[in-house]
Amino acid sequence: MTAARPTTPADRTRDDLPRVLELPEPGAPPHAVRPGAGAWWALTVAEARMVGRDTAGLVVPLGMPVLVLVMNGLHPGLAEVIPGTDGRTALDLYVLPLTLTMVVALVGVINMPSFLAYYRRTGVLKRLGVTPASPAMVLCAQAFVGAAQILAGVALALVVAFAWLGATPPADPWVATGVLALTVTAMFAVGMLVAAVAPTPGSAVAIGLVAFFAIGALGGMFGSRENLPDALATLGGWLPFGAAVDALGAAWAGVAVPGSAVVGLAVSTAVAGGAAAAWFRWE
Amino acid sequence: MTALVAQHLRKTYRPRRRGGAPVVALDDVSLSVGPGEVAGVLGRNGAGKSTTVELLAGTRAPDAGRVRVLGLDPRADRGRVRGVLGVQLQGASLHGALTVRELVRLYRSFYPRGLAPDRLIERVGLGPSRDVRFEKLSGGQQQRVSVALALVGAPRAVVLDELTTGLDPQARRSMWSLVEDLRADGVTVLLVSHLMEEVERLCDHLTILDAGRVVARGTAAELVDRAGLRPTVTLRTDDLGAADLLHRLPVVEHVDAAGPRLTVTGTAAGPDDPRRGDLLHEVGAALAAAGVVATETQLRRPTLDDAFLALTGSPLEDS
Repeated sequence: MTAARPTTPADRTRDDLPRVLELPEPGAPPHAVRPGAGAWWALTVAEARMVGRDTAGLVVPLGMPVLVLVMNGLHPGLAEVIPGTDGRTALDLYVLPLTLTMVVALVGVINMPSFLAYYRRTGVLKRLGVTPASPAMVLCAQAFVGAAQILAGVALALVVAFAWLGATPPADPWVATGVLALTVTAMFAVGMLVAAVAPTPGSAVAIGLVAFFAIGALGGMFGSRENLPDALATLGGWLPFGAAVDALGAAWAGVAVPGSAVVGLAVSTAVAGGAAAAWFRWE
Repeated sequence: MTALVAQHLRKTYRPRRRGGAPVVALDDVSLSVGPGEVAGVLGRNGAGKSTTVELLAGTRAPDAGRVRVLGLDPRADRGRVRGVLGVQLQGASLHGALTVRELVRLYRSFYPRGLAPDRLIERVGLGPSRDVRFEKLSGGQQQRVSVALALVGAPRAVVLDELTTGLDPQARRSMWSLVEDLRADGVTVLLVSHLMEEVERLCDHLTILDAGRVVARGTAAELVDRAGLRPTVTLRTDDLGAADLLHRLPVVEHVDAAGPRLTVTGTAAGPDDPRRGDLLHEVGAALAAAGVVATETQLRRPTLDDAFLALTGSPLEDS
C-alpha cells in the first residue's frame, strides 16, 4: 500500500498511471477496440479456473456417470452378447451410451447455466459489458470449458469401461463422435435456455436439475423406456436425452442411427437455442 | 470537445408494484465535464447518481436526452467508447474464485494498451493480497480491485461510482491521491460520491442531484455562496456593550447574545464583496478599539454540508 499521501507533485510516482498525452492525438475520437486473441484466451483460462476451483461442481459430472457405469457394469446379465451386433453386450449398447449422455447433460444442463446465472445475478456480465470484451465472450469461454469438461468425463468413462468392464469400442467410431457432438450442441442449447429463464443462480440449479431429471427419466436414465406409457416413451425418444442414448447405441451396434433421434437432437438444438437467444438477458 | 456530456436525461423504471406509477429516476439531468477536469456528482441514495453513471457508461439507454463520451454515443459507438472509458460500477461483481492478480491481468487483456497489472495492484494498495481470491477479500479490498479494473486500460475518461465507500481513512486518502494523479495525467474523472470532504477536495466542479433532478451545480465555493449562507463569529465576553457595538459594524447582519456568549452573523455578501471573509478581522478590530476583552473567538464559515442541506432541504448524512 502507498504509505502516505504525497505532498508535492514531484514526490508522486506516476509511472504506473495512465499517460493520456502519449496518445497520438489527445483530442481525436478514439479507435474502436476489439479484444484480440489474447483476451479470448485470458477469458477462457479465467472460466477454466472458475470451473476448476468449484470442486463440488466437478464431482457430479465426472463422478456420477462413472458410478452409474460401474454399478450397472458389474451386473452379470449385461455380459450377455446381443445377436447381430458383432459381439457387443447391453453394456456397450445401452449403459455406455447412457453414461456418456449423462456426462453431457450434467455439464450442459446443470453446471453451465448455474455459472451463467451467477454471473448475471452478481453483475459479472454487466461489469464486462463496460469493457471492450463482450459478455458473449463469456458464453463462448464457458461453452469451451464445458466441452473440455465433457471430454474429460467421456474419456474417464471410456477408460473405466474399456479397461475394467471389458466394453467394446463402437462399431462406427465416427458416427459415435458425430452423434456425441450433436448431443453436446443440443444439451448446451437446453442449458442456455435454463440460464435464460432462471431469475436467480439458485433457481438455475433447480430448473437445470428438473430439466435433467425430466429428459433423463423419459430418456431411460432410471430404467428402460419400454416400461413407460407409449406416448411418454415416444416423447422421450425425441427429447435430447433419449435421442442421444438411442443414437449412440446405434453407432455402437453399427446399425443405422434412427432418423427420429437425429431430428430430435437437431430440433432441440434449434428450438432451445433460439428461445435462449431470444430470452437471454445480460443483467 | 467536452469529455463527458449528459443533456436533458430522463429515465423512468417500471413500477415496483403492478399498476403503480413508473419510478422517475432522472428528470431533465444535464452535466458536462471538460477534458482533464475532475467533476463530482453529489446526492443521497436514490437521488439518481448510479442511473446517471449507467447512462454515461451506456449500460442503459435514456428515455430521452443525449449522452456523449469524448464526442461519441456510448451505445451506438460502443466499441470506440469502451476502449477509452473506464467505469467503476456500484454493485457489479467479479469472477469470485479468481485472485486479484488474475482479475487485473484478465481485464488488462481486453485493452490494446494499458497499465502494468502488478504495479497497478501495488498502487491501489493490494500488493499483499495479490494472490487472494476476490471472494475472500474484505469489502474495502474488493472496492480497490474494482478501481484498479476501471484504470487498467489506461482510459482517457473514468467514471468512479462511490470511489471510497467502505474504505478506511488511510485507504481513502490513497485513493484521493490516485485521483490527483489521474488529473495530473489529463484523465477526465467523474466522481460520484456522497462524501462532502471527498468532492470538495478533489472536484473542479460538482452537480448536486436530489430526487432525480439537478438542484445546483458549480464549484464548491459557488454552491456555498449560492445557498446564501453567512459566516459567523462566536466569542465570549463579559462586556455588556459588546453586542451593540458589533451590531453597528457594516459587515455584521445581527448579533445573538446568550449570556456572555455572542454569535455574530455576517452580512449576505456576494463572493466579490471586499468585506467578505473579513468578519473575524472586523469584529476583532472593533472589539480591540473599544477595549473589550473577548475570548474563545472563532470564525465558522458555511461548509458544503451546510450548502447541501440548504439546497436540498435535508442533510446528506441521513441517507
